[in-house]
Order: sequence, then structure tokens, then C-alpha cells
Amino acid sequence: MKAFDNFHPVAPFLYFAAVIFVTMFTTHPILLGVSFACAVFTCGMITGAKKTLKSLLYALPVMIVIALTNPLFSHNGVTILFYLNGNPVTKEAVLYGVDISVMITSVFYWFKSYHAVMSGDKFVCLFGSVAPKLALLLSMTLGFLPKLKRKYREIDDAQKALGIYSRKGYLDKIRSKIRVLGILVTCGLESSVETADSMRARGYGLKGRTSYSVFRFTFADAAFVFFTVALTAVICFLAYKGAADFRFYPTVKEINFGLESAALYLSALLLSAAGIFCEIKENTVWRLLKSKI
Amino acid sequence: MKGWKKDLIALAVVAFLIALLCVGTKFQSVDDYYLTHIDDITPESETVFLSIECKTVLNNYDDLDEALKEEKYVPKDGVILPRTEYVLRNGDTVFDILDRAVRYNKIQMEYRGASENAYGSAYIRGINFLYEFSCGPLSGWTYRVNGEFPNYGCSKYRLSDGDVVEWLYTCDLGRDLDMDMYESVR
Repeated sequence: MKAFDNFHPVAPFLYFAAVIFVTMFTTHPILLGVSFACAVFTCGMITGAKKTLKSLLYALPVMIVIALTNPLFSHNGVTILFYLNGNPVTKEAVLYGVDISVMITSVFYWFKSYHAVMSGDKFVCLFGSVAPKLALLLSMTLGFLPKLKRKYREIDDAQKALGIYSRKGYLDKIRSKIRVLGILVTCGLESSVETADSMRARGYGLKGRTSYSVFRFTFADAAFVFFTVALTAVICFLAYKGAADFRFYPTVKEINFGLESAALYLSALLLSAAGIFCEIKENTVWRLLKSKI
Repeated sequence: MKGWKKDLIALAVVAFLIALLCVGTKFQSVDDYYLTHIDDITPESETVFLSIECKTVLNNYDDLDEALKEEKYVPKDGVILPRTEYVLRNGDTVFDILDRAVRYNKIQMEYRGASENAYGSAYIRGINFLYEFSCGPLSGWTYRVNGEFPNYGCSKYRLSDGDVVEWLYTCDLGRDLDMDMYESVR
């Protein structure tokens, strides 16, 4: 995680907004497949390969559950597998479920990378002067889960050290965990009130108050922003012309490999893989510089 | 109590709940679903007539979902099931007759069960892949018995001997079928 740290916050913010936007507004399997692969790779480069592989182990069962839930509620489609309470369960509905699950997981992974890159100070730097209250609120809420996770481990350890943590059976363990969760919620509420008070005491958001920012908008930032915006515009234009249209009901449409569609897939690939390129470039430069020392 | 004993009890409860869920669910293979035999019409048997039509789609063909612009989904004359006579079993509702007819004729049909909505009646979402909203935002399936549109759900309408049931697709909330519901409301 080096390349994104060198950018002005605007660049990664726009980049992640663009890839998440493209991923969320399409059902085209190729676009989603490209987005998913790149999301996992980007996340792996930014947060660590081992951690990402481990999280995939959790993500896969969730994907399967989503894929199998859709055919329970959507019965359209010509290839009928069997009947459930008089309504058909179809192959098309299963495929659509798989498609949606890939979309949800890739958005999840994009957000994971986004979160690793856009720390609270970057977010406040972007929006602190425009909408101070909203910026603080968002940065607090976005930082909430990692903070809670850390706090959770602390409380867990403390409970174990106190000796009131049961390890006998699964049910007792769950009960202990619930107690830890209760303490965690109390802690979270208290800390959010304290943060608000403390920020007010510092005069945050007062008129005429400027904020210090270490970030500088350089030529590289401008180039990256231009690249992102241009590719997003190309994708939107091609999608508007119908290259991204896809349907699952009543029959699954065949995947189109015409000129426009190929251009769409290529631009989606370029956009999604831009983060990976930046990381690889940064890593190579880093290695080259190191070898000279 | 020992920890593992509690675990065992919890496991049993979960297994019981899953079993309960499975008992309430009916699985059927495709062959089981489609009836191969339907009640024969004898001189004594009570009968009703049923037809399924989507003629209004033909007048609004531009609004139709691109995927459905094929003859196997919307027939040229708009008739999915021509008027046919079916045996009326005791207590049959419009939904029961439709369900039996589509199974016998192997026509696709999807419905929302009576327990899944506020009206206490089954709702027909789509017949022959033609769904609600497939032909404009005001489109969907509706039914008519003896030339009149009943103002309630199809699984609440009990049929009697000689009734004529028509399932009709509307593209304009029934106005294109001369449903007089709107005048009576006004």
C-alpha cells in the first residue's frame, strides 16, 4: 500500500467512487467478473495477500447463500430444475443469483480497499471545509468498525484474564461473547459522545477556521484523475448505447463480443486494474531505488 | 450442566427447526408438477370454461420487454390458451382451475401465495413468461368471470357450474379491457 498513499485524496476517492459506481449499476457478467477479479487483487495488494485470501474463505459461503436465495423468490426462467411449493425453481434464477453475489462481493472488496486507503484525515481533508459536520460524521462512522474490532479484542482479553469467560461448550462461549458485545456497544456509544464533545471543544467547523493538510495536488494526481474520469465517461457512453445490456429472464442472453462490447470490456478492465498498475509500478520503483543504496 | 450437553441440546433444537422448515416445503420434480391426466368430462360433471389471452400486448408491442418479443412468449393472435372446458371440483376457486390448466398444458406460471400478501389471496405474477410490468409500468394479469371483473383475489372466487373464466393481460391497469372499476370508484 504505497501508490495510493502518495496521491492527493481526491484521486483515490474518485477512483473508488468510479469503480464502485460501474460495478453497482451493471448486471453484465463479464463486467462483474472483471470487477471482481480486480477488486480482490487490489485488496490483496493494499491490505495484504494472506489477509485477503483468508477473507475470501468467509466471502465464498456468503456468495453461495446469496446465489441460492434468489431462486427461492424469483421463479422466472425457461429451464426448470424442480418445483417448490408449486412455483418453479429455475436455472436462470440461480445464474442471476450468482451474478448478483459476484456484484455484492466485488463492491465489498472495493470498499475494503477504499477503507484501507482513505483514512479519516484524508476524508476530512476532502470534505472538512465544505461540509464539516457531514465529514466528521462520515469519517467517524467509517472508522467505527475497525475501532470496534480493536476494542472488541481488548474487552475479550480482559474478560478472559478476569476468568469469567467460559470455554466449556459452544453455547456458553456464545453467551460470553454476547456479554462482550454488550460492553462493546456501551463503550462505542460513550466514545462517540466524547469525540463529539472533544471536537466541539477544539472549535471544529467554526467559521474562519482553516485546517492543515499535508496533501498536495500534483501532476500525477491530475493525470490519474483524468484517466479515471475519461474511462468512466467511455464506459457510461458505451453502456448508454446498449453494450452493457444483459438479461437473464426468461432466457439468458448470449454474451456479445462485438466491437462496442469489446471496447466496453477493455475500458472496464483498464479502469478496474488501474489501482493494481499503480501499486506494481510503485513497488518496482521502490525495489530499484533500494538496490541502488 | 456440562458444556457439551448444552451444545447437544442446542444442536437438536436447530436440527428440529430445519426439519420443521423442510416439512412445510413441498419439493416436486418437473414431471410430478405437470399433470399428465386431468379429470374426464362426463355428462354429470360440473364444468367451467377457461381461456388465457394477452391481446392487449399486440396493441402495445413497443412497450414489450425486448426479451419477450418472440412468438413463443406472445402468440400472433394473443391467445395463450384457447377457451377450454374443465371439470369443476367441489370448492374450486379461479386459482385452482388456472393452476390445474397450466399444469396440464405445460404453461409456465408464477404466483405469490395467499400467505405472502396482505389481501389473503394468491397473486398471479406471470403466465407464459409474461410478467407484471413486462409491457409497461401498468401491465399485469387480471381475470374476468362471465364478463365481469370481480374486485378481489382469484383464490377467493368460488366458481359454479358453467362459469366462463378469462385470464387477460392488461397494459393499462384494466382500462384497455373496459374494466368499469374506475367509473364505479368515481
